[in-house]
Amino acid sequence: MDETRMTGTAGREAGGENDPRTGRAMDTVVRTRGLTRRFGSFTAVDGVSLDVGRGEIFGFLGANGAGKTTMIRMLCGLLMPSGGEATVAGFDVYRESEGIKRNIGYMSQRFSLYEDLTIEENIEFYGGIYGLKMDEIRVRRDALLEMLGLQAEARKLTRDLPLGFKQRLALGTALLHDPKIVFLDEPTSGVDPRVRRAFWDVIHEESKKGKTVFVSTHFMEEAEYCHRVSIMRDGKVIALGSPGELKREYGRSTIQDVFIEVASGRTAAGGGEARAGGSGDSAGPAGKGGEGS
Amino acid sequence: MRRIYFMMKKEFRQIFRDPPMVAIIFVMPVVQMLVLSFAITTEIKHVKLAVADLDNGVATRAITRAFANTDRFDVNIVTDDPAAVKEGMRSWDAQVGLVILPGFGRDLARGPAPQVNIVMDGVDGNAASVAMGYAAGILQDYAEKSAAGAPAGAAGRGAFPARMQERMWYNPDLDSKNYMVPGIVVVLLTILPMMLSAMSLVKEKEIGTLEQLQVTPLGRRELLAGKLTPFLILSFIELAIVTVVAVLAFGITMSGSYADLALAALVYLATTIGLGIFISTITGTQQQAMFVAWFFMMFMILMSGFFIPIENMPPFLRRLTLLNPMRYFLAVVRDLFQKGTPLSSLWKDMLPMGLYGLAIFASGVMKFRKRLG
Amino acid sequence: MNASMNRAASLARKELMHIMKDPRTLLIVFIMPLLQLVMFGYAFDMEIHMIPVGVIDRDNSTESRRLIETFRGSDLFRLSEAGAGSGDVEASFQSRKTRAVLVIPPGFGKDLARGPAADVQMIIDASDPNSAQLMKNYFGQVLAGFNESGGRGGAMPFDVRTSILYNPDLKSAFFFVPGIVAMIMVMICALLTSITVAREKETGTMEQLLVSPVRPREIIAGKVLPYVFLAFLDGTFILVVGILLFGVPFNGSLLLMVGLSTLYIITALSLGLMISTVARTQQVAIMMALTITMLPTIMLSGLVFPIESMPKPLQLFTYIVPARYFLQIIRGILLKGSALAHLWQPALSLLVMTSILLTVAVRRFGMKLER
Repeated sequence: MDETRMTGTAGREAGGENDPRTGRAMDTVVRTRGLTRRFGSFTAVDGVSLDVGRGEIFGFLGANGAGKTTMIRMLCGLLMPSGGEATVAGFDVYRESEGIKRNIGYMSQRFSLYEDLTIEENIEFYGGIYGLKMDEIRVRRDALLEMLGLQAEARKLTRDLPLGFKQRLALGTALLHDPKIVFLDEPTSGVDPRVRRAFWDVIHEESKKGKTVFVSTHFMEEAEYCHRVSIMRDGKVIALGSPGELKREYGRSTIQDVFIEVASGRTAAGGGEARAGGSGDSAGPAGKGGEGS
Repeated sequence: MRRIYFMMKKEFRQIFRDPPMVAIIFVMPVVQMLVLSFAITTEIKHVKLAVADLDNGVATRAITRAFANTDRFDVNIVTDDPAAVKEGMRSWDAQVGLVILPGFGRDLARGPAPQVNIVMDGVDGNAASVAMGYAAGILQDYAEKSAAGAPAGAAGRGAFPARMQERMWYNPDLDSKNYMVPGIVVVLLTILPMMLSAMSLVKEKEIGTLEQLQVTPLGRRELLAGKLTPFLILSFIELAIVTVVAVLAFGITMSGSYADLALAALVYLATTIGLGIFISTITGTQQQAMFVAWFFMMFMILMSGFFIPIENMPPFLRRLTLLNPMRYFLAVVRDLFQKGTPLSSLWKDMLPMGLYGLAIFASGVMKFRKRLG
Repeated sequence: MNASMNRAASLARKELMHIMKDPRTLLIVFIMPLLQLVMFGYAFDMEIHMIPVGVIDRDNSTESRRLIETFRGSDLFRLSEAGAGSGDVEASFQSRKTRAVLVIPPGFGKDLARGPAADVQMIIDASDPNSAQLMKNYFGQVLAGFNESGGRGGAMPFDVRTSILYNPDLKSAFFFVPGIVAMIMVMICALLTSITVAREKETGTMEQLLVSPVRPREIIAGKVLPYVFLAFLDGTFILVVGILLFGVPFNGSLLLMVGLSTLYIITALSLGLMISTVARTQQVAIMMALTITMLPTIMLSGLVFPIESMPKPLQLFTYIVPARYFLQIIRGILLKGSALAHLWQPALSLLVMTSILLTVAVRRFGMKLER
């Protein structure tokens, strides 16, 4: 059963190589149409439509409570949408969340490795539940440890690692099973700029290999590293495009300035390829937190 | 299957890496077993006795000696003032008073039949009624013995008494350990699996790893199987440990078959582990889980017949016990240990227990959703 | 002094708000003891009625039938014919159809006439030794009645008059209401306080308090006073329910009761504070509070199981369980109307324990905080 699904997906997105830097992918791996999620009377994500291609680094920008986490959770199959459509790696988020889960990696805001397991035990565990064979796990574990320079510490408890290493280990673990798409929910919050740099090196590396990377952040300079950026406010995508396009369009020199302009709601809906189902002047209640729950 | 294997391996690693956890699983039950078995006794011994013997003759001294010679009573106060008995009760120096008025010996020999007054402190109703039985027994014995010295047939021709010979089956010495220790086995098999499984699931929720597991291809059933099988295995080790302690340290005889015990335990563990899952779904933090588990535990233990016999309860509460899975398992374990009843004869308990196990486990698993919100 | 009071008061107000905002805990704190009260109060009835008894009459004479009738006349038993084989008795015990079997051997009637005595056999399922003892006593009474009504010997040469003081109906609620009050006080003062202090440590708010001008003594007072209030409230609640629902008497002095309860509450609080100086996480606090305070209070204080019946080493251990003394005090005052003259021993023991525990706890707590 599992195997047929896998080959099925591969078939669905067969398409030639494409340049990830064009910002427009021929083979779409994430596609949403009017995706919506409500918590009671509060709408956390409001009719978002997106197409993200293979190998793209796609950034989600937005203040806390703008709907970034809810969006990522729906795409990961963690949260049932209240309306709209979405497919991830060719699988429908309503009915085929198990298929999605085999093809994605995920790193949440909270540190999600087991602190009371050693580094290698954590790697082995996550490799194991993704169905990797023991010798595959060993090869990838050694590669990951080497990349992090942690070979000597492999048998130490994860609890004793410095935060920066913990975060990079978590990222490496999320990539261990070579997923098609990686979702990173504010992966760099709380780490120093050097570690953040190392993080982005990994992200670019993976993108070159053809992986799609979804990353949410509130560091504006990080947005510059993305192929395309979407700015969210009150559950809606209000601006979408490559960093260069956005800066040109709003006549600003940095994404930070674009963000301040767009997110403050002074301008109407952004341009580019945004097919965001709504405009900047939203009807949703502002400032409510939709990140939790 | 491979995924379950990795999940189990991780779980065992975490358990054995945590020394307090290891202590809770392996040392606590033995300690609890030892303390509880001695503390929880339905036997009443060494009841404090105040004697006010105002006659102080041969007969009354013999009666006092009869009381002093058993381990059921300790003569704590000897006085010639009947009021001192009551004062002794107020200061907890006496629980039973034996008051014999002057002229007892004389009246015993010549008639009319004299009085022996027994004054009970009724605060602990259970102890009081048991002590009352003891006192009556001792006086009866004394009466019989003194009658034996009198000429035979003193009561008249053709009127001989019926005598009771009692045969105490399964527990000839009326040792309360034989009854309570199998009960403690059941209590431990209730508390530990429920607490451990609830706490460990809620802990993953609290630290955020549950969300990480939810985006992996690990299915809900695989997750629960991998997470809970270790606790099932540990519960069986637990059962083995406490059974060995019961048999070796307390000399409890196991009259039934160990295989039957294991099978019944398996059915019961579905209930307690299922309750653990259920608790984890309605709580968000370990502290809440702990409180809720404690609440369940209290209800289950009180309403199981563990120390309050079910037949002594009023009808309403007796019916309420039918809802309690522990009630059935307790009956099964006690019967297996003491009477050696084959499991096939215990279907009246096994059937409801199995149904509860199935229902509770299934609803726990159903309620434990993989998606959030 | 005034500023100090104010600071403690504002801490206490904050603590009270925490308590009020956690309805789940509050519910458990009030409902659980009530549930226990109802269960113990109604369920712990030591009389057994309608014991199912099987009868094997191998004599089948007028006398044997008369004996059976005597048994039937008592409302303690429910008689049924039993199979005569010994396997049948076993089977009826295993299926719990009967709890005891009365066997009247052949020649019972003749033996009664010829003397010296006629034996009847009582086979009792003694797996529950307590009930077995009770059943044996009941059978003895019925048999004595049978003998007496036949004018047979064995009647006592003297009358035994029994009187029961303080709880003439042997109601279990009289026994358990004071016990539950003692348990509540430990639960609130030791368990809850140690958890909240551990929580403040875990979340780092304790540090925040320490950099403020609040002094350790004020922190203790502010943390502890709301729980004292809650403990009194909950204890009074259970006591009132006990008095109204079960007719538990209040024979002694209210003043003495309040005074000694305060002493006990301070003991429990000191224990809670000591635990919180050791425990860094809530989980450890919970485990410690349960094993060090709750379990001994329930198991080793005489709350349910009489201390005198325990083995000697365990009895020695009960001397360091504060609830042991408090139970004597509260049961004495409520049920027996004991005065301080009767209760000076447990009161003194409690006072000594309290002063030692409180000194150690406050000193340790202060030291931990200042570091």
